[in-house]
Amino acid sequence: MLKEFQQIGRDLFLAGLNNSHSGNMSIRMGDRIIITRRGAQLGRLTARDLIETGLTKNDSRIALASTEIKVHRAIYARTAALAICHAHPPYATALSLTQTEIIPVDSEGSYFTHKIPVFGAELTIGSQEVAAVIPEILQAYKVAMLKGHGIFAVGQLLEEAYQLVSSVEHSCKILWLARQLPGGTAGSLAAKAGW
Amino acid sequence: MLRGWMGRLLRVDLTRERVTRETLPATLLYRYIGGRGIGARLLFDEVGPETGALTAGNKLIFAVGPLTGTKVPTAGRYSLTTKSPLTGTGFESNAGGFWGVGLKKCGFDVLVIEGRASRPIYVVIRDDHVMIKDAGALWGRLVGETTTRLKQAEGKGALVSCIGPAGENLVKMAAIVNDGNRALGRGGVGAVMGSKNLKAIVVRGTRPVPVADRDQLDYMVYQTDKRLKANPVTSQGLPEFGTAVLVNLFNELGVFPVRNFQASVFDQAEQISGEMVAEHLTISRQGCFRCPIKCSRVVSIPAGTGAGPEYETIWSFGADCGVADLTVIAEANFLCNDYGLDPISTGATLACAMELAQRGLLKSPVRFGRAENFKAVLRSIAYREGIGDALAEGSRHLARSVGAEEYAMQVKGLELPAYDPRGLQGMGLAFATANRGGCHLQAYLVGLEVLGIPKLVDRFAQAGKAGLTIYCQNINAAMDTLALCRFIGLAVGEEYFARLLTAVTGETYQPQDLHTIGERIWNLERLYNLREGFSARDDTLPSRLLTEPVAAGPSRGATVGLAAMLAEYYRCRGWDADGVPAPEKLGALGLSGEGSGENA
Repeated sequence: MLKEFQQIGRDLFLAGLNNSHSGNMSIRMGDRIIITRRGAQLGRLTARDLIETGLTKNDSRIALASTEIKVHRAIYARTAALAICHAHPPYATALSLTQTEIIPVDSEGSYFTHKIPVFGAELTIGSQEVAAVIPEILQAYKVAMLKGHGIFAVGQLLEEAYQLVSSVEHSCKILWLARQLPGGTAGSLAAKAGW
Repeated sequence: MLRGWMGRLLRVDLTRERVTRETLPATLLYRYIGGRGIGARLLFDEVGPETGALTAGNKLIFAVGPLTGTKVPTAGRYSLTTKSPLTGTGFESNAGGFWGVGLKKCGFDVLVIEGRASRPIYVVIRDDHVMIKDAGALWGRLVGETTTRLKQAEGKGALVSCIGPAGENLVKMAAIVNDGNRALGRGGVGAVMGSKNLKAIVVRGTRPVPVADRDQLDYMVYQTDKRLKANPVTSQGLPEFGTAVLVNLFNELGVFPVRNFQASVFDQAEQISGEMVAEHLTISRQGCFRCPIKCSRVVSIPAGTGAGPEYETIWSFGADCGVADLTVIAEANFLCNDYGLDPISTGATLACAMELAQRGLLKSPVRFGRAENFKAVLRSIAYREGIGDALAEGSRHLARSVGAEEYAMQVKGLELPAYDPRGLQGMGLAFATANRGGCHLQAYLVGLEVLGIPKLVDRFAQAGKAGLTIYCQNINAAMDTLALCRFIGLAVGEEYFARLLTAVTGETYQPQDLHTIGERIWNLERLYNLREGFSARDDTLPSRLLTEPVAAGPSRGATVGLAAMLAEYYRCRGWDADGVPAPEKLGALGLSGEGSGENA
């Protein structure tokens, strides 16, 4: 399990989907949650960086867990997800600042996500508001963007959640690049995507 | 016009029964801000070399900060500075609750108590009116009863800070207890109050605290509250389990001292953990003034209902004494509160006595794991009866009296708290260099070495710990002078403190200003101790921690590598190899006169 967290954490960082200390990941194991430590470097995880605590009930290790544990727990409580990946992909985050939803125009993006909802909160880190709304979105979608903050992606496996993060960022990068081209307005691109 | 500060000092001379009010110079306020800083300054200036801690010449300097009594979260603390009868050092202790706010709302930033009353008395401050009243009927009474009686006598809104029998009997581990259960716990400050025949100080203030920029303050308070609510330690760990949240964490790391630091993993830790307190004892939570964290517990046990044991108390009467019975520990905590005893030093001194008895060096019925003696032993300490008279002097004195000082787990006479520094090297350096002796709070490297706040560092590494210790000592001195709780620092840092301070006072403070002020305070405290005869020899640890490797558990094989860290510490501090601040350092901090022995 540590190896899986280490590999995905490293890949997230090397792909530029997180900066040095951003992002967090968790998996659900029955009534327990294993989540990355608060402030951990996902690209350099060690055994001390995986914190196991209750899925619904706190124990003393809550003092070490990621600040986003509130959101992770809420997602597990209201969805069937078994793994969560939270990252700060730059293109997706940039687009989230100007759009209420992001519609991929590339084939893979359309295939995987169709539409990426964007939610704006007053406090986007570890807040009750985010913990209330993001799980609701993830009942209908596998990914959700927090405006100006980053992405939450869920799956049965950590790798699946990671794939969604990677795919969304790829789609947003294509969207961004396409908009630089002649005729690449938001409206024309949406029409080409069939939305 | 000053904002944030009330600008006045109240001086009560108990010998002459004379009260004076003084205007605090703005330069003093700007350079030292409040609580611990002003306390250090006044102690250095007013309590001369070799003044006996329990003589009329010693002073009790109570002080608050400019944020005290405002809407800033956790800004309800107050500070006391005096010369400690336990350590002989200058000693700052601070407490939460509400009493500090009451003092400030009387219109004073500082209260200096000096001299010695000819009979037991208590002091009442109602806004600007000060009365010295007879305490004959209160002398000998427990803290709870004293607090209740004085609140009834002095009317609605009266806030009480008092001593119990331990302070009256000059027990060197005696505390001063405010609001019934918050304490200026360490260093025997209660004995200083007892030596002055001062049973209590009652405050009842109604004056508003002036604020320079209310809009900016509202904004910064809003931002600070948001972060306190988002942080898992301040919004979940501490509120749900109190400070006892640390029991399991420290035990799992092998840094939870057992049987007077003879081991560092307690096989029954789970039974005395924060989880067990929450599940079996806690009936409600309690918070200090303007505190959203509310880390205090109210617990119920067969002996009664009252303030629950903190992490340190669970350790001192629990693992350190080899006891795993939470009910007994909670009752010991009740008794410490009522007698007015520091539960850390009391439990640790008891553990020292247990080891001395175990080794046949002390004739006493106390034994590790035997909790049935607690009640009688605590009473004997508070009233200095039988073996309690020797215990009342603290572990160093006790162990020295049988020629075995090495079994006293203390630094500069102050008993070490619940962290085995062999598995926390930075904490070892922090203990050795703390100006008030074996104290965990002056640097609190737990954030870096355990909790990962702001980032996790290698707890066994020694390289670089000097710089980290100094950084933490300086900023924590600034926090103490702002009279903020250490726990707010788990969620926000000095940039927040500086902006809050700027909003309240209207004076511009940058984060670096707080570091500089903290460093100034640290050096001034050091100069006071040097003047009292302390030296580099005293910046050390019990030999057990330096030479006996941890026998088992995650810290197995570790000792504290103090020598190298200490040499680096002196260099980084700008002190010479003997631990004396260099003239250039003092000059940079505006302390040149103090270094040459002149008072400012």
